[in-house]
Amino acid sequence: MAGIAAERYTGASIKRSEDPRILTGSGRYVDDIKLPGMLHAAFVRSPLAHARVLSVDVSAARALPGVVAAYTGAELETMTIPGPDVLMEMLGVGGPTPEFSLLATDKVRFAGDPVAVVIAESRYIAEDGCELVDVEYDDLPPVVNAAVALDPGSPPLFANLGDNIVLPRSRREFGEVAATFAEADRVIDVRIDVHRHQNVPMEGRGCVASYDAGTGVMTVYAATQSVHVSRKAVATRLGIEPEQVRVLAGDVGGSFGLKIGASREELAVAAASRALGQPVKWVEDRGENLTASGQAREESFDVRAAVSDDGDLLGLDVQVVVDTGSYPGMGTMVPAIMEEMLPGPYKLAALGFESTAVTRNKPSYVAYRGPWASETFVRERVLDLVAKDLGLDPLEIRLRNVAPRTDPPAVMVTGRPLAGITTRESLERVAKLVDFPAFRRRQVEARGRGRYLGIGVATFIEAAPGPRAPEPPSGPLGLESMRLLLDEDGIVVLFTGQMPHGQGHQTTLAQIAADEFGVPFEQVRVVVGDSDVVPFGLTGGSRSATMTGGVALHGARQLKAKVLEFASLLMEASAQDLQITDGHVWVRGDPDSAVAVGDVARRAAAGEFGADASLEVEAAFDGGEGGWSGGSHCAIVEVDVETGLVTVERYVVAEDCGALINPAVVEGQIRGGVAQGIGAVLLERSAYDEDGNCQSATLMDYLVPTACDVPRIEIEHLQTVPLDPDVNFRGVGEGGMIVAPPTLVNAIEDALSPFGVRIYEQHLPPARILELIANGDA
Amino acid sequence: MKLPPVEYEAPRTVSEAVELLAEHLDQASVLAGGQSLIPLLALRLARPAVLIDINGVDGLSGVSATDGSVGIGAMTREYVAEESAVIADAVPLLAAALPLIGHEAIRNRGTIGGSLAHADPSAELPAVALALDAEFVVRGRSGMRVIPAADWFEGYLTTSRRPDELLVQVRFPAAGRGTGISFQEVARRHGDFAVVGLAVSLTLSDGAIGDARLAFAGVSDVPVRAFGAEDLLVGERPSDELFDAAARRATEDIDPPADLHGSSDYRRRVAAVLVRRGLRAAADNAGERG
Amino acid sequence: MDITLRINGVTRTGSPEPRKTLADFLRDDLNLTGTHIGCEHGVCGACTVIVDGRAVRSCLMLAVQAAGSEVTTIEGLAPDGELGGLQQALWDSHSFQCGFCTPGFVMQATAYLHAHPDAGEQQVREALSGNICRCTGYQSIIDGVLLAADRARQS
Repeated sequence: MAGIAAERYTGASIKRSEDPRILTGSGRYVDDIKLPGMLHAAFVRSPLAHARVLSVDVSAARALPGVVAAYTGAELETMTIPGPDVLMEMLGVGGPTPEFSLLATDKVRFAGDPVAVVIAESRYIAEDGCELVDVEYDDLPPVVNAAVALDPGSPPLFANLGDNIVLPRSRREFGEVAATFAEADRVIDVRIDVHRHQNVPMEGRGCVASYDAGTGVMTVYAATQSVHVSRKAVATRLGIEPEQVRVLAGDVGGSFGLKIGASREELAVAAASRALGQPVKWVEDRGENLTASGQAREESFDVRAAVSDDGDLLGLDVQVVVDTGSYPGMGTMVPAIMEEMLPGPYKLAALGFESTAVTRNKPSYVAYRGPWASETFVRERVLDLVAKDLGLDPLEIRLRNVAPRTDPPAVMVTGRPLAGITTRESLERVAKLVDFPAFRRRQVEARGRGRYLGIGVATFIEAAPGPRAPEPPSGPLGLESMRLLLDEDGIVVLFTGQMPHGQGHQTTLAQIAADEFGVPFEQVRVVVGDSDVVPFGLTGGSRSATMTGGVALHGARQLKAKVLEFASLLMEASAQDLQITDGHVWVRGDPDSAVAVGDVARRAAAGEFGADASLEVEAAFDGGEGGWSGGSHCAIVEVDVETGLVTVERYVVAEDCGALINPAVVEGQIRGGVAQGIGAVLLERSAYDEDGNCQSATLMDYLVPTACDVPRIEIEHLQTVPLDPDVNFRGVGEGGMIVAPPTLVNAIEDALSPFGVRIYEQHLPPARILELIANGDA
Repeated sequence: MKLPPVEYEAPRTVSEAVELLAEHLDQASVLAGGQSLIPLLALRLARPAVLIDINGVDGLSGVSATDGSVGIGAMTREYVAEESAVIADAVPLLAAALPLIGHEAIRNRGTIGGSLAHADPSAELPAVALALDAEFVVRGRSGMRVIPAADWFEGYLTTSRRPDELLVQVRFPAAGRGTGISFQEVARRHGDFAVVGLAVSLTLSDGAIGDARLAFAGVSDVPVRAFGAEDLLVGERPSDELFDAAARRATEDIDPPADLHGSSDYRRRVAAVLVRRGLRAAADNAGERG
Repeated sequence: MDITLRINGVTRTGSPEPRKTLADFLRDDLNLTGTHIGCEHGVCGACTVIVDGRAVRSCLMLAVQAAGSEVTTIEGLAPDGELGGLQQALWDSHSFQCGFCTPGFVMQATAYLHAHPDAGEQQVREALSGNICRCTGYQSIIDGVLLAADRARQS
C-alpha cells in the first residue's frame, strides 16, 4: 500500500454533506411527514387582542363531514396537566409565572390567541370547520403600549398576577455610578427605541404527533432546535413518562430562536392525537407564523451616558422596559443578559441598569437571533451620538474606548473578563479595508451634487461561549454531551443533541471528528434528531461551535485512544507507536502494517479484546477556556432624500470567531445575520394598531429582504487569540444580526448629517427617513 | 390558508363564460391568471360561490395592431405582452410598466385583462390604462360594450363591468410622433406594489407640449389622472420650473391614503418627486420617437 | 375533478378538488414533497415549479388548471440521482443553509438560465428577487447561479 496521506478538514470549506438531499428536494421537513391515518389540525384564533371568552360552541364544526374532532380550551385542560413553560423552568428564569392554558379558556390575550382546535381529514376541511366554530367574546380594553402596561391600574392580562408587570423594576449598579456621572464633563440623556420584529423562518412551526395506544408511546415529529427540550415539554404537559415520548426531527427549515420547546399549539395537537389514537399534523401557515408564533425586540431604553470632553465613555445608566408579550417566556431572561453585556469591549467604569418587563396584548416575546442585541444597538448608537457632539470620528472614538487586551485580561465592569478580545484589531482591519478619508472626500463631492452618502461603523463582542467562568457550569446547558462509536464498517458515528436548522453541523462536526480521529470525512456520520438515541442538547445561543465542536474533538480523541488500545493488542505494538490516518491504524514508519479501523471494530465485537471491549465513548465538554466572538462592521449607504429609500452600497466585516471549522459555513452565518439586520432597519416591523390588531399579517406587509436588498458582504477573518489548548472554535451564528442594525443606523445618520438628523430608533422605512429630514436640526 | 369550498366552471367559449356569469352574477369570480384572486381566496377574504376559470376559453389571447391602436386579448399573459415587439413599438408606456409588475413567475401567469379587471389602485397597469385612455371591451348577455378607461375604474377593486359581463380585450392607442413616456415608481422592494406610481405620456411638437397625460397609482382607491397638472403643461415648453409647478399642482389635487408603507404626507411628497422625474424622463425621450 | 398531466416526464392522474392548489396536489396527492410551501400567497417563491416551460408559483395555480400541462418539479432535475449542472454549482458554492427555500430557487434559476444563459450578477439578483431566503443573505446563491452559467458557457 502506498504511503497514506493525512487530510486536514478543519479550516477548509468542505462541501456540505446535507446539500445533495436539499438540492434534489429529498429533504425531510415536518410537513413532508405522512403517516397512515394522519389527520390535520387547524386552530380557531381570536380576532380580538383582549377579551373574555363567554362561550365556545364547536358543535357545527364537529358535524361537518370530514371533521373528526374539535376541542375547546376547557376540554384540552382536562386532557393535560397545567404548568409553566418548560424551557423557562429548565433555564431557571425567575419571576412570577402566570398560569395559562394550552388554548385560551376564559380569556384571549392577543389577536391570534388559539381558542379551539379542529381535527379533520385534510387541512382544507379543518379550516372549513374552524369557520363553523362559534365563539362569543366580551371585549376588554387592550393593553398595547408600555405606559398602559406599567400602570398598575391597567386591566391585568393574568388574574393571578394582579397587574401587568412581570418583572418588577429592579436596579443594579456596577462601579461608582453616581460619582462617575457627577464628575463627567458632560452627560448625554437620550431615549432609544427598538421596534418589534420577528424571526420569519421559511418553514413555520409544526409537528406531527402520533400516539400509539398499544405501547403508550407518543412520537412527535417536530421542527425544533432541541428534540430533548421538546420531549420534556410534551412529557410534562401530557403527563407521560419522558421515556415514553420520542421526538424525531429531520430537516428543519430555519428557526433563529423560534422553535425551542413545544408551543401551545403543538402540545394541543399531541393531546388530540392521544385522545383520538391517530396521528395528527399541524403546520402553521404564514399568517399564523406572522401573527401568533411570537415576536421579538420591542424594547425602549432611557440612556444616560457620562462622557469626557476627549471622548471617553465613562459610565452608562440605562433603564429598559421589555415587552414580554401576552404569554411571558423568554422576555424575562433578556434584561439580565443585556445588563451583563452593555459595557461591551470598552473600558466602561460604571454601569447603572434598571429593568422592568411587562406583559401586553401582543404575541409572546420569543428568542430571535441575539435576543439581547439591543444592548449593542444602544451602546454603538450612543458612541456615535457622543462622537458627533464632540466632533470625533466614529472609528477614533471606538479605538479610544476599547479595552486593551492584557494578561491578566481587563474585566468588564459587570464581571466578565475580556480575555482574548480582538476588537482593536477588527476596527483597524475595517480601517484598512475601507479607505475612510477617500470616502469622506467622495461624500463631500456627492453632497455637492445633491446625493447623500454615509458611512457607519459598529463593533461588538458576543459570549459564544465567552471565557471560562470562575464557577463551574450549571444547568443542562453548562455541558455538552456526545456519544461516539466506531462501527464495523469503519464509520465513526457521532450522536449529538444538536439540531441543525441550517448551520451544517453534520458537516462541521464530521470535519472535526475526521481530523481528530484520523478517518476520511466521508467516514464520519453525525446522527441528530432522535430523542431515543441522542444525548441532551440544544442548538442555540451560538454554543455549538465551541461546546459541540469541543466535545466532538475530545470525544474523537477518547475514541481514538480506545481504538489504539485494542489495535496495540492486535498489532503487537505499543499504542504510542501507532497512528490512525485515512481510516487505517498503522505502526509509525511501516505503511504495510495498516489495518482498517473497521477491522479493529469487527474484532472487538467478536470478543477478541475481552467481553467488555467496546468502541463507544460518552464524552462531555464544558467549553474549555472558551472565549469571545466578535467583530467590527462597516456600511456605506446612499439615502435618496426625495423618496427616503436607502441603498446599501458596500458592507464590510472584520470578524473573529476563533478558529474556523468551515469558512463557508461561517461566512454564510454572518451574511444571513447581516441580511436580517438590513431587514430590521429598512423593512421589517411587526405592526399593531391601538386595538392590538396585527397589520403585518402577510409577507406583503411584513417585508423581508430580497436579493435586491442585500449587497455583497465582504468578510475578513482575523487572526484569533487562542485561549484553550485544543478548542478555539467560537460561535458566530448571532453576531451578524447583533451588530448590523447599529452599523446601518450609524451610516444613515452620517448620510443625513447635513440635515442635522439624530436617530434614536432602529426602524427607518422611507417615510420615517423623510420625517427625520424634515424635523432635523440643520 | 387553504382556499374555501367553491364551485368550479371551466367554459370553453366566451358565450359559455357569459352564460355562466349571467347565471351566477356577483356570486361568481372570474379566474384568469389567479395571481391576485388566488391569494384572496387563500386568505378567505374573497368568498365567491363559483369560480369561472377562463384559461380554457378560445380566442382571448393575442396582441394585434390595427390602425392607430393595439388590441390585447384579456387573457394575454403579462410576459407575452412584455416580449411583444408590437407593444414595445406602439405602446411604449405599457412596455415600460410591465417589467415592474411583481416578479417573472407572477407575469408568467398574470394577464393583462385580469390585472385591469381586478383594478388594484396600487398596480401598474390601471395607471397606464387610465393615462392612455385605453378602451375596455366587454361582452355580456346583451352584447358588446366598449368602456373608456375614464369610466372603467369605479372604486377600490371595483370596475364598471357588470356581473354578467366578461372583459375580452383592452385596446391601447398607439403612441404618435413626438411621444415620450415614463413609468415611475417608488416601491419598498424590487417587484413590490407601488407605494406611489406614475404613468406619464407627453407629446412634443415644435418643442412644446402638445399632449400631457399623468396617472397615479397608489394615491387613492382608484388610479387617478392629474388633470390639473396636465392642463398646466399643455402648450408650454419643458423646463424644470414647469415640472416643479406641475408637481405642486398634481399633489394639491390628491389626498392619498395612509398605511404601513407610507403616511398620506409621505405619499404626497413622493408623488411630487415622481412627477418631476417622470416629466423629465418623458420629455427627454420624446425626441426619440420620430 | 379528474385530471391528467405530465410531471417530470411521467403521465400522472389525480382527482383533486377544484380548490386544491397545484402545490398541495404535488405534495399530498403525488407525494412530491420537494416543492415547499412558504406563504400560500405568492410572495416567497418556495413553491416555484416549471409549467409548460415557464416558472410558476404553484400555490397560485389550482391543480385542475395544470391538466394537460408539462410540469417539472425539483425532483425532476436529477431523476437518476446525478446532480445537474446548476445543482452541482450550488453545492460547490455553499449556496444554501436550511434548505427550505432551495427547491423554489433551483426551479426559478433553472428557468431563468435557460432563457438568459449570459445573465450578469445584477440581472440574476433581480430574477431571483421574488424568492425569499432567510438564512443566506443571497450572495452564496447568486454566486452558485453565476458559476453554473459560467460552467455551461465553458462546456
